[in-house]
Amino acid sequence: MFDRVDAFVRDVRGLETEAELAGALGEIAHDLGFRYFALTHHVDVRASCTAIRIHNYPEGWAEWFDEQALGKTDPVHRASNITSVGFPWSKLPEMIALTADDRRVLELARSHGIGEGFTVPAHVPGEAHGSCSFACVAGERFAGEHVALLQLVGAYAFEAARRMRRSRLPGGPVRLTDRQRECVMWAARGKSDWEIARVLGVSEATVGEHLRHAYERYGVGKRTLVTVHALFDGTIGFLEVLRR
Amino acid sequence: MAIIVEGGRAEPCSERTLRAMFEDRKSVFVDLLKWDVPVLDGRFELDEFDDANATYVIVADPDGDHLGSARLLPTTRAHILGSLFPHLCAAPPPAGAEVFEITRFCLSRRQNAVSRRRTRNRLVSALAWHALERGIRTYTGVAELAWLQQILAFGWDCRPLGVPERLECGMIGALAIEIRHDTPELLAANGIWDLTHGPTEIPQAA
Repeated sequence: MFDRVDAFVRDVRGLETEAELAGALGEIAHDLGFRYFALTHHVDVRASCTAIRIHNYPEGWAEWFDEQALGKTDPVHRASNITSVGFPWSKLPEMIALTADDRRVLELARSHGIGEGFTVPAHVPGEAHGSCSFACVAGERFAGEHVALLQLVGAYAFEAARRMRRSRLPGGPVRLTDRQRECVMWAARGKSDWEIARVLGVSEATVGEHLRHAYERYGVGKRTLVTVHALFDGTIGFLEVLRR
Repeated sequence: MAIIVEGGRAEPCSERTLRAMFEDRKSVFVDLLKWDVPVLDGRFELDEFDDANATYVIVADPDGDHLGSARLLPTTRAHILGSLFPHLCAAPPPAGAEVFEITRFCLSRRQNAVSRRRTRNRLVSALAWHALERGIRTYTGVAELAWLQQILAFGWDCRPLGVPERLECGMIGALAIEIRHDTPELLAANGIWDLTHGPTEIPQAA
């Protein structure tokens, strides 16, 4: 089976469109024993024109999924944000606290014919998280022996999607200056402009200015949002914010 | 600043840089990642492959302090993939005068997320530059799959050599990276290429 994955890895480099990638992913998922695949950035796809989302889920399921704007709250996506290697969906209850809504989503997926699955998380520092999932038809056997290969397929497929997405991005990822970054980091630690000014040895007005520019670069208007964006894309790290 | 240390000779890289490298390796691989590898004097992570055959690609700050490094092992003699993990390769592990193994890729923990990324970019660039300079066509390596997405996102030509293996702590797999004349361009397209201060090459020991 490694030869099959090796061929996929070679092919995927030359693919140019999402439709071609979807075709290649559908074929290899099938060869490894999975009916469905879904490769997606963990953002509300309707709100982000550059996000990638391809899948071969049954009609109806994907529409419902989008209508509920589940991209960001999907339990599978949440779980994949806390791990860097793939996991079977049966492990979800051990990974995150499942809410009543989560359980409803998982049951609904099942009622649409989606059975056990395996998700490969895709984290690239400084970029939106994503994942590539493989699922079998409800009631069919889960090909657990292939999870190491799925790990490779997911990673290479996501990189191909990332390459396609990058070609659509107008100006590349948001970059803050060192000073803006520091101000956002201190804001994330709950410091006021005045406090940040004391820490950095600059005036309060200067701190306000740095933060305002950081808001502009992310296209947001609130202190909380700018810190969340900067944490999400890795501009600031959880460890430095939570450090005592 | 990138420094290449070949043939077991330290100059012009200072003793301090090398000591800091072995200390940082202990901090990363033993203290953080809990690898079961030998530690010298309770401070330095050094093993049997740290001999005159090893090449070190080091990124240091202007004072010569170690920021990040990787160890290159020739594949014409004992090396990690060939000696310890050949089962990670579907075919015999790639070996030869033009194939080197990247081991102990290490970023000092004394940096914040942004400078770590800068150091990482400089180290990856220096590795590509060194390969082109020395006629190395292929780098191999054993990597934790947690890093695979990031390694692929550098944009260079990287392929798996076999089925990854599940260990208690995660998954590991064997990779091969082909270095060609267009590698710097591929790295640049992904915002990785950073070789503003050309590396200092240290001549091979006689």
